[in-house]
Amino acid sequence: MQTTTQFDVPVSDRIQDLREKRKRINKDLRLNVERNRILTEYYKANPNQYPILKRAGFLYDWCATREINIDDDDIFFGDAGPHTRTVHFDIEQTSPFWFRGNFGDTDERFRAAWQVPGSVWVSDEDRKYLLEAADFWENNDIGCTARGLFPDEFFEGPMGQFAKYLNGSYPGHFNPNYEKAVQVGFAAVRQQAKDKLAEIKANTTTDNVKSDIFYRAMVKVCDGFILLNKRFADAARAKAETAPTPERKAELLKRADSLDSLTANPPRDFWEGIQTVLFYQNLMTADGLHWADSPALIDSYLGPLAENDVKTGALTLEQAQELADAFLLQIGNQIIMFPKPDNNQLIEAHKEGKTLYDLQGAGQNIAAGSLITLGGQKRDGSGDYTLATELFLLAYYRMRVAEPSLALRVNKHTPQRIWELGIAVSKRCGGFPQFNNDDVIIQQMLDRGVELEDARRYGVFGCVEPAVAGKEWSMASNCGAFGGGAGMLQTLQTVIHGNYDPASKTERPGDAKKLYEYNTFDEVKEEFVRLAKTGLKNMERMNHFAALVFETAWPAPSASVMMEGCMESGKDVSAGGAKYNATGTMTNAIGTVTDSLYAIKKLCFDDKTITTRELYDAVVSDWEGKELLRQKILNDLTFYGNDNDEVDELATWVTDFWLGFTNTLSGPNHGHVNMGILDLTWVAGGKRTWATPDGRKSGEPLSPSADPRQDVVKNGPLSYVKSVSKISWDKARCGGAINIRMDANSVRGDEATAKVRDLISSFFEMGGLQFCFTVADTAVMRAAQKNPQDYQDLIVRIAGFSAYFTHLALEEQENYIAKYEVAV
Amino acid sequence: MLVGYEVPVCAQLFIEVGSPVEYKNVKGHIYDIQGYAVHDGPGIRTTVYTKGCPLICLWCHSPESQRHEFELGYLQIKCLGTGVCENACVNACPVGALSKNEPVEALNGSGLIQKVSIDREKCTGCLKCAEACITKALYPTGWDTTVDEVYERVIKDRGFFKNGGGITISGGEAMAQFEFTLNLAKRLKDSGVHICLDTTGFAPAERYEEILPFIDLFLYDIKHMNTETHKKLTGVPNELILENARFLAQHGAALQIRVPVIPKLSDSEVNLRATAEFCASLPRDSVKLVQLLPYHKTGRMKYERLGRKYKITNVEPPNDEFMQKTLELFKSYGLNAQLH
Repeated sequence: MQTTTQFDVPVSDRIQDLREKRKRINKDLRLNVERNRILTEYYKANPNQYPILKRAGFLYDWCATREINIDDDDIFFGDAGPHTRTVHFDIEQTSPFWFRGNFGDTDERFRAAWQVPGSVWVSDEDRKYLLEAADFWENNDIGCTARGLFPDEFFEGPMGQFAKYLNGSYPGHFNPNYEKAVQVGFAAVRQQAKDKLAEIKANTTTDNVKSDIFYRAMVKVCDGFILLNKRFADAARAKAETAPTPERKAELLKRADSLDSLTANPPRDFWEGIQTVLFYQNLMTADGLHWADSPALIDSYLGPLAENDVKTGALTLEQAQELADAFLLQIGNQIIMFPKPDNNQLIEAHKEGKTLYDLQGAGQNIAAGSLITLGGQKRDGSGDYTLATELFLLAYYRMRVAEPSLALRVNKHTPQRIWELGIAVSKRCGGFPQFNNDDVIIQQMLDRGVELEDARRYGVFGCVEPAVAGKEWSMASNCGAFGGGAGMLQTLQTVIHGNYDPASKTERPGDAKKLYEYNTFDEVKEEFVRLAKTGLKNMERMNHFAALVFETAWPAPSASVMMEGCMESGKDVSAGGAKYNATGTMTNAIGTVTDSLYAIKKLCFDDKTITTRELYDAVVSDWEGKELLRQKILNDLTFYGNDNDEVDELATWVTDFWLGFTNTLSGPNHGHVNMGILDLTWVAGGKRTWATPDGRKSGEPLSPSADPRQDVVKNGPLSYVKSVSKISWDKARCGGAINIRMDANSVRGDEATAKVRDLISSFFEMGGLQFCFTVADTAVMRAAQKNPQDYQDLIVRIAGFSAYFTHLALEEQENYIAKYEVAV
Repeated sequence: MLVGYEVPVCAQLFIEVGSPVEYKNVKGHIYDIQGYAVHDGPGIRTTVYTKGCPLICLWCHSPESQRHEFELGYLQIKCLGTGVCENACVNACPVGALSKNEPVEALNGSGLIQKVSIDREKCTGCLKCAEACITKALYPTGWDTTVDEVYERVIKDRGFFKNGGGITISGGEAMAQFEFTLNLAKRLKDSGVHICLDTTGFAPAERYEEILPFIDLFLYDIKHMNTETHKKLTGVPNELILENARFLAQHGAALQIRVPVIPKLSDSEVNLRATAEFCASLPRDSVKLVQLLPYHKTGRMKYERLGRKYKITNVEPPNDEFMQKTLELFKSYGLNAQLH
């Protein structure tokens, strides 16, 4: 592996400008209506076309008619929308109510929400169009397909509304086969489809007739992509005519030649490789697959191109770095609208000087949950770290962008320099990269039947979810669309309250017991298992039907065109064409669940200091008049996160059962069902969650994901990490990470870097799956002082105990900030 | 092995060679055990902090470590008011040293609460209030423990001890609880754990001689080269400390010398040069590293908790430039020096 220059190489003026431009645009975003217009017109004009041909036909039209946008300062070309950083949404998957509510609102309110500085701009013309389009989609969208095939029972209960409209149930969530797009290219893939068609034409049977349709769709998609390159080539050439400098003119002409070449050949150099990745991503965004569209192992297949460019002198290292920087800025330009705010929220936000961009998942998921995976292994098991691994890691370090997220695979081959870069980036970018343990993840893949050589080429998508890169349709039913119906925490609540809902004070029908009806702790566990199995089996059933919605009318030809298995089997990914199939979902609040089970066990059954009735009464009343008991629970019990086997064994038990049972379920297309441990909304989730026996009051934050509730961590990071290592990570096939917040003081300097590495590798030796750390950051603490409501979960460690930052007195906050205000 | 006593076969499995049973119960006073103590030696370390120190350094950032006996600490922000615990601490105090404050708004939004104040003049240090305090806002500055208890706790972190990591026994002055420290070191050594001893050097030479075989690395403080000034800053002269350093260095100890750089108090060029000269005069292979520790104010908060005054309020941390210059100075003596 070649070694790049050090961290301190200055960022080029061009990149500086691009970065500034991006910041400017963040205050002036526009909604991508163009894609939805092309889609709507195509679907209106071709109502009876076979679903995959309809989808491919639309994609072709999109490539053929979309606006070609080359900006004066572009290093790479193309956004998925007509402007840089347009905000995407998919009209066919968005509830018509949302359009009507927002765009059908009074003129005054519409303008206040969508046409003031800071709003995501929607013109009067676009508004009118979207309202008309909503009329069409109301009878043709994904919700219609769902209602056309779901059994009635799905529309009842807490998931009923969701089942009815499936809105926000985005496809995507996978590691597309960018590798094939770069190594084989669209022209060659088109030929593969043509050859397959010729075979079928010579011998058409019941078994291959649908494949004929599929291959025709593939040819259409390839034609579109090739045309897209051609159109950009022509545009670059035209723009060269009016280029302000001879250098820019020469550059544009060179790029035009590259794009022409890409219409017939795979990429020949680093620029062409990156451009292909970006165009392919744009195409999939148009196809509605942008949600967690995660380019995996890009350093593996772009690395040789970069290395060759540097070797032949076509690029200096500084120029290669500039391309990597530009790539990172551009790939994060796919912004998704999530959640979809209504006019009230928008108007309120604008009053506070916030933009819709600020509202996007509180700063998360802006780039649609996209995640870049770097590093790993080759098919033969040797390490796969290239010049591009360093370039891209350095790009994160230099650009300090918050999206897309970054995963770094580590194994015994990982070079020391990559570790150092990874840790340096993480100190700077707060939790990027997440470190992924190859040993555990590859074994998990083998456990679910993935071939060893494929398992070694896994990527991570979305937040933490591992999948076989380019070969797996990993979220067949869309992010475990119905996973939310079977939560660990909800199960715990039913174990405690039976069918009573303490929030609404209503008794629902059902036969579940209440906490005071158990005689032993084993009975508690048995009931937990019984309820959980019912819930998870229900999720399994729902997932099968959800996947069928997509197979019926919403195929994903832009994914299938490259996905391994589809070209071979003649089937779309939604019909099981990929080599591997899976779906997955997440569980959460391991700390809250474990601590609650432990409090029940310890207080009511082991020590018998209080009765189950007393504990039940305290919890059901949200500790009203029971503050003394609550404080005793909080202060006297040693909870998860302190390396105490007595409590941690319950974390092991509950995860082993929950994840293990999920692993036995059947997924769509004979795939697996993967369960992970992740929670993006433990603060919001806590607000919706009634009091729990661990002393948590109703509305207080939950423990985040697999992490302990940090305000009960008494013994520092080693015990914390060790407790988390006891979770059954080997079964957490949908991933999940420990996210530890470290003091700036303890990560300063080279020596500290070595210690962080020791900490991560120790966790991995103990069976840990993924590791993230963030550094207590002064800027964050200042923000928390201003908007405490948004930082309820910010926990700081104050010499021997942890506390919610926002609960500290001002002088204590200042003291803490002063203490850690040192360079990281 | 004990003569004439037959140990049951099953129990033999649990008795490790070289760690006689009777050592396990040696008692100690400690005030903290911390995992990931990144400032206490190489690699990832877990540090045991013993109580009691013969030195009282003006800049000490662990005032709770100074006295051997447990004191009453009070972390006011943890107090939720006497309404919750029904005046538990006030009622528990036999001498009436605790009183309720004027009501204040609770940080958790639960309304007006009355926290307590301690009259340190009246307080006898009986710690009954700390026993009664539910939230542990009132707390004793440490606890009684045994070699075995500490061993069981710290050995849990073993999975993290790679690349030189291990256990650090620190203080206070760990050598002041010699029997405890020696036996803990022996116990750990038997298990093959890397052991650092963080010491002021202020203990009889024969004790260092006795513990030497069990310590992999001494973290050894040199606070000032002038014995009069040393006495003013720490309460004790420095001859014994310097002699012990020479003794250890000459007897094969590995030393990591730590030099606190306290503006106005120990940062004169004369003193820094003398310190560097002294380090350079020790056998070269024994001084593995000299660490320069710039003054920091982290401990100030802790004095308030103990009802004490922090004495050097007019001292600010040295600037980076000065520390860099000091580092160069130490390096110019051929020392392997580092800023910490």
